[in-house]
Amino acid sequence: MEKQEVILTVEHMDKNFGSTKALRDVTLSIRKGEIRGLIGENGSGKSTVTSIIAGMQKADRGQMTYEGKSWEPSSMIEALEQGIGMIVQESGTVPGITVAENIFLADVDRFKTGPVIDRKKMNKNAQDILDQIGAGDIDAAHITGIYDIQSRKLIEIARVMRKSPQILVVDETTTALSQKGRDIIYSIMKKMKKEGKSVFFISHDMEEIMEECDTLTVLRDGVIIRTFEKEEFDEDAIKESMIGRELEGDYYRSDDEGRLTDEVVMELSDVNLVGAEPLIDLNLVLHKGEILGIGGLSHCGMHSLGKVMFGALHPQEGKVTVWGRELKDEADAMNLGIGYVSKDRDTESLVLHAPIRDNIAAGGLDKISGNGFLITPKAEKDYVSEQIKNLEIKCQDMNQYVSALSGGNKQKVVFGKWVGRGSDILILDCPTRGIDIGVKQSMYQLMSRMKKEGKSIVIISEEMAELIGMADRIVILKDGQSRCELMRQDHPQEADIIKYMI
Amino acid sequence: MKKAFTNLAPIAGLLALIILYFVLGTVKDINVTYGLKTIFNQSVVVAVVATGAVFIYTLGSFDISLGASTAVSALVGGMIYLKTENIWLMFLTCIGVAILVALLNSVLASVFNLPVFVTTIAMLSVLNALVLLLITINGTGDEIAVPGSGVGFLDNTGFKLAVLSFYFLFCLFCFNFTPIGRKEKLLGGNPLCAKLTGIDVGKYSIIAFVLCGIGVGLGAFLSIVYAPTLTRNTASSVGMDVIIAIVFGGMPVSGGAKSKIYAALIGAFSMTFLSQIMVMLNLNSGVGQMVKAIIFLAVVFIAAGERSRKTLPR
Repeated sequence: MEKQEVILTVEHMDKNFGSTKALRDVTLSIRKGEIRGLIGENGSGKSTVTSIIAGMQKADRGQMTYEGKSWEPSSMIEALEQGIGMIVQESGTVPGITVAENIFLADVDRFKTGPVIDRKKMNKNAQDILDQIGAGDIDAAHITGIYDIQSRKLIEIARVMRKSPQILVVDETTTALSQKGRDIIYSIMKKMKKEGKSVFFISHDMEEIMEECDTLTVLRDGVIIRTFEKEEFDEDAIKESMIGRELEGDYYRSDDEGRLTDEVVMELSDVNLVGAEPLIDLNLVLHKGEILGIGGLSHCGMHSLGKVMFGALHPQEGKVTVWGRELKDEADAMNLGIGYVSKDRDTESLVLHAPIRDNIAAGGLDKISGNGFLITPKAEKDYVSEQIKNLEIKCQDMNQYVSALSGGNKQKVVFGKWVGRGSDILILDCPTRGIDIGVKQSMYQLMSRMKKEGKSIVIISEEMAELIGMADRIVILKDGQSRCELMRQDHPQEADIIKYMI
Repeated sequence: MKKAFTNLAPIAGLLALIILYFVLGTVKDINVTYGLKTIFNQSVVVAVVATGAVFIYTLGSFDISLGASTAVSALVGGMIYLKTENIWLMFLTCIGVAILVALLNSVLASVFNLPVFVTTIAMLSVLNALVLLLITINGTGDEIAVPGSGVGFLDNTGFKLAVLSFYFLFCLFCFNFTPIGRKEKLLGGNPLCAKLTGIDVGKYSIIAFVLCGIGVGLGAFLSIVYAPTLTRNTASSVGMDVIIAIVFGGMPVSGGAKSKIYAALIGAFSMTFLSQIMVMLNLNSGVGQMVKAIIFLAVVFIAAGERSRKTLPR
């Protein structure tokens, strides 16, 4: 294929955050009609370089050229007006306003007739944009806060796409989306490519990035390591470039034993839950030392199942018993040795504007205080330091705010909260969502170690490979009901699972 | 570095005000020792009430009825003294009434699932009406006068300092060395995450209000000691002064991890030193209020600015 002209170049870019060098002498370019993947471990600089391109922040050094002219956007709004839009990693919608208002956020005035905003016209235009990107099931007139994380991401996409940008940055957006949402993003990217527009695509999903991208640039510690052309794509070579070494040890579990002990630690009997993600007549047991995988399509009920198992959602019928005792609420779950890692990490599992120390200690205040009352700074420091060391959390110190950590390290903090208090049962809802392969491997190794120690783990995931790789037993949910149960020793394949999911 | 600056700025501000006070006092040949006593007397009620209020602010909540609650507690305490002439009963009544009002506030907010701010607006109206009612029914119509001979012996710096120190150390202990403070910071930072970490939102909201109620009760008792003739103006400025003091002291209005128990003390004394300095400079009260407003906005701006910088991607 003939190479098209370069639309944007970045030359010798540096960016520092305090003593952390986020970007070091980064030089890259993107051509018209190119989908450029950016890949690297958490904190490698992918989001930093693209956020500078999209006007979210400024570089400390270096030049950018866009369409042959010097490029120095003062804000994301200006960048989008000039043709560069970005869908950010974090939540970028305002929950208390309508979908249409979010889509036209800084541009609502265009619907003004005198002092009055023509809401009907604004809603109609917003609905048209949603329909165009394939998200027509979202109602532009509704309040944004009622929608789930996937729909809110689609609203963000609509906000960017209404300006028909020449360059689109997709920053780890697909991790928040189900297959349907991902398909919407892929079709937008392909359409843009066909129209001679360009895309920066950031993802930790090796399969999708190799499938969707024309070229792939690997960053490590703020430095560009290598750019792969499509014909050079090789998973092992890319992984090695990313982490600077070969992955040592097992990635998933190496054993194929799926034998279960007789001891049941948790039992769900005839559970019925009404709600957005209902559960119907669900019966399930979790054994001591078992890794139980729960899979299915988005909205199949698996995420509400995780909350039911932690006592955060109360079924209208049926009961959950742990060690033979009926589970009451979250505090009871913790007393019974259960820990819960939410799918929506930043919203439900972390206090972002709080230090690592507070977040990790939060799960173990009763352990730190010993007598349940007095917390000494030394006891707290020792407790938190141990988790930071054991989980190899990359941070300046325990007083660093969680909001300043990369996705993988944030997830390690959440794990620290539950592992530190010695939880016997861990419920992990999409535990490796949005984290790089290095951290993923360490999470999987941690789960394997915990299994060997006799702990029980429920892993809820939309990634088939993860379920097959880690679980002793996989339960597939569809429309809130259990559709099948597959044992590890039977070597289930993705195709076997998918046919029960859809 | 920026974090340390934000943390230390209120303390540095108070020190600067103290130095300025002594410099001006020396230059203008004013009796600074007497002035210090006045500053302490003016600050102590606000400092005590605001110290307790930090527990509520840490939750990200906002109670505007604290001044009215102090007034009602003082009035009921005063009535009990007039009936029994027992200073201990008066003390316990002040504390009891304040805790009762605090409990009502928190339980109403929990039961009706309303923001605390909303229930305290309603409570403010009820309490203000109660102040008028109590004075009309139980006093002369304009006041409830506790005899100075009954409480005057407590009107000294040593007693007030002891009350303030005891309550401050109690709150410091609860806030920094027990799970109470940690859990309330988490609730203020992210209530959903706190709930999914097994923290009972309702229970810790009630604990915060009760701890604050103790401070309000102590503030009411100190108000009687300082000015035993209770009128509709008793503690009338306490509510607003508490809010300003807490913000002056560097407490984030959104609560959460950066909440500090000492913010109330720093803020209460900074405010009074500032007022005293403006009196020394012969500035009228209008100018004084404007200076306070400007500093108030500056403090909130600095705190908000730091948070917005932290939301940038890496």
